[in-house]
Amino acid sequence: MLLLSITDLIARFHPVLVHLPIGILLLACLFQWLTIKNRYLFLQPVIPAILFWGMIGAVASCISGYLLSQSGEYDAQLVTRHQWLGILVAAFSFILYVLYKLSLNESWARWLSVILVILVTVTGHLGGTLTHGEGYLTSVLNRDEKKQTAFKPIPDIEEAAVYADIVQPVLEAKCYSCHSAVKQKGKLRLDSPESMMKGGESGKVLIPGKADESELVKRIFLPLGDEDHMPPKAKPQLTENEVLLLHWWVSTGAGFDKKVKELTRTEKIKPVLLSLQSGEGSEKAATDVPGTPVDEGDLTVINKLRQAGVMIIPVAQNSHYLSANFVTAGSVSDSVLQWLVSLKKQLIWLKLDNTSLSDSSMNYVAACMALTRLQLSHTPITDKGLVKLQSLMQLRSLNVVGTKVTIKGILALQKLAGLKSLYVYQTGVNSSDWDELRRALPAAQIDTGKYTVPALPTDTAVIRF
Amino acid sequence: MTQKELNDQRLLREAQDAVRHMHTRRHFLRESAMGLGALAIGSLLGGCGRRQENVMSSIAFDPAHPLLPKSPPFAGKARSVIYLHMAGAPSQLEMFDYKPELMKMDGQDCPGSLLEGKQFAFIRGVPKMLGPQAKFAQYGESRAWVSEHLPHFSTVVDEVSFLKAVTTDQFNHAPAQLLLHTGSARLGRPSMGSWVTYGLGTENQNLPGFVVLTSGGSFPDAGKSVWGSGFLPSVYQGVQCRSEGDPVLFIGDPKGMNRDIRKASIEAINKANQQEYEEYNDPEILSRISQYEMAYRMQIAAPEVMNINDEPAYIHEMYGTRPGKSCFANNILLARKLVEKGVRYVQLFDWGWDAHGDGPYNALNVGMINKYRSIDKAITALLLDLKQRGLLEETLVVWGGEFGRTPMMENRNGQQNPYKGRDHHTAAFTLWMAGGGIRRGFTYGETDEIGYYPVSGKVEAFDMQATILNQLGFDHEQFTYPFQGRPFRLTDVSGKVIHDIIA
Repeated sequence: MLLLSITDLIARFHPVLVHLPIGILLLACLFQWLTIKNRYLFLQPVIPAILFWGMIGAVASCISGYLLSQSGEYDAQLVTRHQWLGILVAAFSFILYVLYKLSLNESWARWLSVILVILVTVTGHLGGTLTHGEGYLTSVLNRDEKKQTAFKPIPDIEEAAVYADIVQPVLEAKCYSCHSAVKQKGKLRLDSPESMMKGGESGKVLIPGKADESELVKRIFLPLGDEDHMPPKAKPQLTENEVLLLHWWVSTGAGFDKKVKELTRTEKIKPVLLSLQSGEGSEKAATDVPGTPVDEGDLTVINKLRQAGVMIIPVAQNSHYLSANFVTAGSVSDSVLQWLVSLKKQLIWLKLDNTSLSDSSMNYVAACMALTRLQLSHTPITDKGLVKLQSLMQLRSLNVVGTKVTIKGILALQKLAGLKSLYVYQTGVNSSDWDELRRALPAAQIDTGKYTVPALPTDTAVIRF
Repeated sequence: MTQKELNDQRLLREAQDAVRHMHTRRHFLRESAMGLGALAIGSLLGGCGRRQENVMSSIAFDPAHPLLPKSPPFAGKARSVIYLHMAGAPSQLEMFDYKPELMKMDGQDCPGSLLEGKQFAFIRGVPKMLGPQAKFAQYGESRAWVSEHLPHFSTVVDEVSFLKAVTTDQFNHAPAQLLLHTGSARLGRPSMGSWVTYGLGTENQNLPGFVVLTSGGSFPDAGKSVWGSGFLPSVYQGVQCRSEGDPVLFIGDPKGMNRDIRKASIEAINKANQQEYEEYNDPEILSRISQYEMAYRMQIAAPEVMNINDEPAYIHEMYGTRPGKSCFANNILLARKLVEKGVRYVQLFDWGWDAHGDGPYNALNVGMINKYRSIDKAITALLLDLKQRGLLEETLVVWGGEFGRTPMMENRNGQQNPYKGRDHHTAAFTLWMAGGGIRRGFTYGETDEIGYYPVSGKVEAFDMQATILNQLGFDHEQFTYPFQGRPFRLTDVSGKVIHDIIA
């Protein structure tokens, strides 16, 4: 037992030990090339000694590395390659050392040392890939791209396969980098049903039907600072919806071939599942921001708008979607509004309340196809302008409070299936129109306002004392 | 020579004199001696705080335009906040936290187990228990308990999420208010409104981004620090506006000064400041220039938005305002107008909720009834009016006091108080939030049978702050400002977003 733990200890020294041969051998090669210059000739005698110790270091790394590979936590194919290259480095440094001792042709030795440098570099890189995961080196180049779950668009959520269409994409985005073929941290693989059921070092991770006892779910709920929290603090975390989806899948039995319609759905999971249907599952459902990224808007246009007093900013840092507010823009002229059209892909929230927006200018608004929130309260627009908005298929919230629009104009918006809220307080919409409105826009919350707070005698009564 | 030229010249001459002063021998010798000393200290303390500059989160501070709107880290659901603070701490047991069991104990001696190891602000010895001084009923689809004192509010309970088990560790007004609004019971931290305007700027450049309105005849006990900017740049402190007379003191031009002269003098001042900036490159000077410009624009914009008289009569009826007076209802209506105009954070304080019962004015069954009536209609109207204008989905409304009140009747210094009152209670009280992406018609947290301790869903001030920041698009753990060599945040080292109350 003690022997076993000692080998374990040695194995863990591998990541430390490997730096010795890397440094020492590279130094030997450097000295070799320096001796071309006469003034460095004095280095010549130490080169064999350096090579010797580099070789010893390489052999020690090989041994500790072999012991570490026995833990089986790493991608077998990568390990084999790394192992043989490592052995090659040790062998090569030995050959070089012997050749030096026999004081062979110098230019020969120099070219051999170039090969050694290449060998050391490649082996080292493979070793790095083993510990940090594939693509670690290049990830700094595109650091801004947040790792997001790529749900395939699901046309019909009822028929979707729970594991293949919903659970697996989440695991792939957030777990596979450490628990799949490449790496098996804690001896756990999550990339196949069998290996998921098998569990890892500390036992089973999945107890079908009992989400709160399954490590897979439990660890996600641990506080971020907890050592056992998954994914580790520095890695991309699961979004709220993803957590809910995983929890729901495990608590309904963690079946690998079930369809959504076969499982019982709680009130909490229903909206999450619905949001998947439109393919924006990992976004928070109610933020009115599309899940797909967009190119950056034309900065010169944005700056022109800002100069005109329009508050236009991205809806979030690292997002190119824009929100524009005309609150201090004063009057809106067509020349300003037409600039919006060149931002039609990016502009999703537009606030034009209390402006002089006319029906004819609504053409520019209607051209901004990506709009999800549009506020037009207290503007002179009428039905003529409103009907133009039929083209805004992404619209989720529309505010026409205090305008002259009537039921006629609103009915023209029937096609906007995504419309969730509609504010028609102080418009030409009458209470007699209510039934018709409801039928036309069954999915929307329609607010006709006119709320009153009745006067009670106690409101103004003051108890004297 | 016109007035404008005269102004320009005088100021410029002063500025030039100041520059000349810099070139005198005396100044040179003094500054070099001091400068060397400062340099030495600088290198002795080397590195203090230097590293933080890289970490200084992703919020770019543009000193020339400190209040321009900025994007939050993620798209928030709320754009603005209206925080209604009942200074003095209203009694949760007479408003929202219904405890029939407490009624049964009414008049009995308080059990010793509740007093052991406890320290109260005024209760000494063994106080008597005091049953709820109101009748309660359940309202709305959410079946939320509301007392008879709030007949209007009971009709809108389905709009709000109640937090029934909020706790604090401060049993005096000022520190408890500071903790709630600045994240620390001690002075010196920026208030929540300052953090928010620092992080988001504001959408209307003609108005302040953070407005404070007070009513009830007195300031909150914590004073102006409760809307101070702490170590954040001073442009982010709350601007206190008055609801009668001039909204901001000295906003009108003095007699004999017309708008043109005002403009000319501000231009002259800014020109001198600009020169100063070119000389020293101190970003605070740019802030100063932009503040002068904003003040000039505000002279027009503020009186307009702060005037509630142009609102139609039915709105006044709905809110129960008292035009011409200074009162909570007027402030509430103002809050709606400000939010409508793009103001980021509106903070209301209504003083006079300290229901000790040592006099009729703060007795639960006398003075407090007047207080309930003064807010009930106005708050209900605010929620409904925001809702019908489509503003509730993007405006977060928060209501609460700085702590709660004890289930025991106060016995000041061991003597029974003459009127029915309760002492300060830190362990459990009620807050509610509405709009801005908060769940509708929900109650989170529960207290025990007498409303003494939380039983479930206990939250702290930090959790509420984290939730507010979350709704505005911030991760409260990443939202920091470097000061004294370390990043500071509103929630210090605590705080958890209350996900249950998020829609």
